[in-house]
Amino acid sequence: MNNTFVNSFISEWLKKRHSFASWLVLLGGVFIPFISIITFLVYPKQLLNIHASEHFWKNMFQDSWQWMAFMLLPMGVVLAVSLITQVEFRNNTWKQLHTAPIPFASIYFSKLFVLLIMMLQLFVLFNIGIYLSAVMPSFFNKRIPFPHYTLDFPFFLQENAKYFILCLPLLSLQYILSLQFRNFLIPIGSGIALVVGGLMALSWEYSYTLPSAYTAIHFLQSKAAVQPEHNLLLWSVGYFIGFTLLGYWMYISKKEKG
Amino acid sequence: MYCIETKNLSHSFTRQATVLNNVELQVPTGSIFGFLGPNGAGKTTTIRLLLGLIERQQGEIKIFDKLLEKHRLSILRSIGSLVESPSLYGHLSAVENLSLWQKLYQCPKQRISEVLEIVGLSNTGNKKANRFSLGMKQRLSIAVALLHQPALLILDEPTNGLDPNGIIEIRDLLKKLNKELGISILISSHLLGEIEKLVTHVGIISRGKMVFQGSLNSLVSRQQKSSRLTLETSDLEKSVKVIRSLQLNGSIEDNKIILPVLSKDVIAGLNQKLVETGIDVYEMSPVKKDLESIFMELIDN
Repeated sequence: MNNTFVNSFISEWLKKRHSFASWLVLLGGVFIPFISIITFLVYPKQLLNIHASEHFWKNMFQDSWQWMAFMLLPMGVVLAVSLITQVEFRNNTWKQLHTAPIPFASIYFSKLFVLLIMMLQLFVLFNIGIYLSAVMPSFFNKRIPFPHYTLDFPFFLQENAKYFILCLPLLSLQYILSLQFRNFLIPIGSGIALVVGGLMALSWEYSYTLPSAYTAIHFLQSKAAVQPEHNLLLWSVGYFIGFTLLGYWMYISKKEKG
Repeated sequence: MYCIETKNLSHSFTRQATVLNNVELQVPTGSIFGFLGPNGAGKTTTIRLLLGLIERQQGEIKIFDKLLEKHRLSILRSIGSLVESPSLYGHLSAVENLSLWQKLYQCPKQRISEVLEIVGLSNTGNKKANRFSLGMKQRLSIAVALLHQPALLILDEPTNGLDPNGIIEIRDLLKKLNKELGISILISSHLLGEIEKLVTHVGIISRGKMVFQGSLNSLVSRQQKSSRLTLETSDLEKSVKVIRSLQLNGSIEDNKIILPVLSKDVIAGLNQKLVETGIDVYEMSPVKKDLESIFMELIDN
């Protein structure tokens, strides 16, 4: 990998220290598992029901992903991408960054890479959280058994990879919006509108064209175990490549760079 | 040899308003070049063009004898800059701010403590940059600009908003950098008085056009040329006749005679002649135009 890109990536990574975006990833990753732990402690029957089911880990995974797929992941993407990208506007640092001897491509793609790594962090934290939300209630309530079932790693990996790919179009679209507008409210407002609009259009026959609804559509399809009509993963990859290239073109075409 | 040279540099943000009009800037290598002009004269636009922050529309920009559009990255490697207000990550400390630029510039880690020492911010610890005073922020911005040991510093109004002490500190620092490290400096300001003690060369821009460019000495000699001698006597009409008899030019303005600056011998001779003619001489005094009024004249014209 190009040395300039690596240095640019490290520099971008350092910028997110102490930032709200990095806390958001942490909170986003542990929020649902934390709520689940509290729920299972207050209503142990809910967890006992999952224990009684045939596929314990699969059901735990799907229960945990419900709110994540519909709300938290898309909203988290909108917020984290906007916050990370707006760091330059907020601190008036675009001009300093653009007078550093780094190619514009390194700046653009290293920021995007930081966002992707942050999403991975969120996924890792969330999965650890799912595990803990299944295990921890058994330490506090003797009626709840410890889940000795074999962890279905391939299923976890496959589903995580799918959700990750499905959130990429929204991430790249939000990246474009956040790079274009100095006013923080425009990308945030547009992002929230996209997410809400996507959810409202879930039953629309062309909802597969709305990238902000992909994680929710995938959740519904995997929960109902139906064969999807459209390959959302391909649509996602297509959108992601398209939005990323469009964003790069818009970024380098800016007549004023700070 | 010039470290910055522009030819026919013109720029407009809208079709109607031309911000820069054929600017030919020449900054000698090793100089401290004061780039002066009132607000809105085109200083910041010129600087942003020099740094590639806005797209060049017309003309040519050469830095270290290389065309900016063809050698942007190699040129930027030799430039440290501060454009208008400080550009710092407020949620990071001074060391953290410098660390991320150190990665970008790929310079040794020890430079961080060296530049903090130079700008006098070694003891800020974990204090976040958004809790710094404006003077500290400006100094940290200069530290960022110095991190990669640039050969040229481009500073756009670096003393804006600083108190007199802060201005003196920055002035001393820049003098030191120029003298000890041989860094060429382009510094913009709208106040001549603020930088006349610092600069070796001056360029004055007004309404997008360069109206003066040269060494500070040449601006000083312009000041001397435009100085005058005033004379107050008991009989102004008779005095003028005496002055003309000595082949000198004198005219009456506001009950005083105005003469160009004369040598000491000529002044003594004139005084003697006036007294011999029976005219009482009450006052003979040179009136010097200060640099500020020369600056204002250049801008107004």
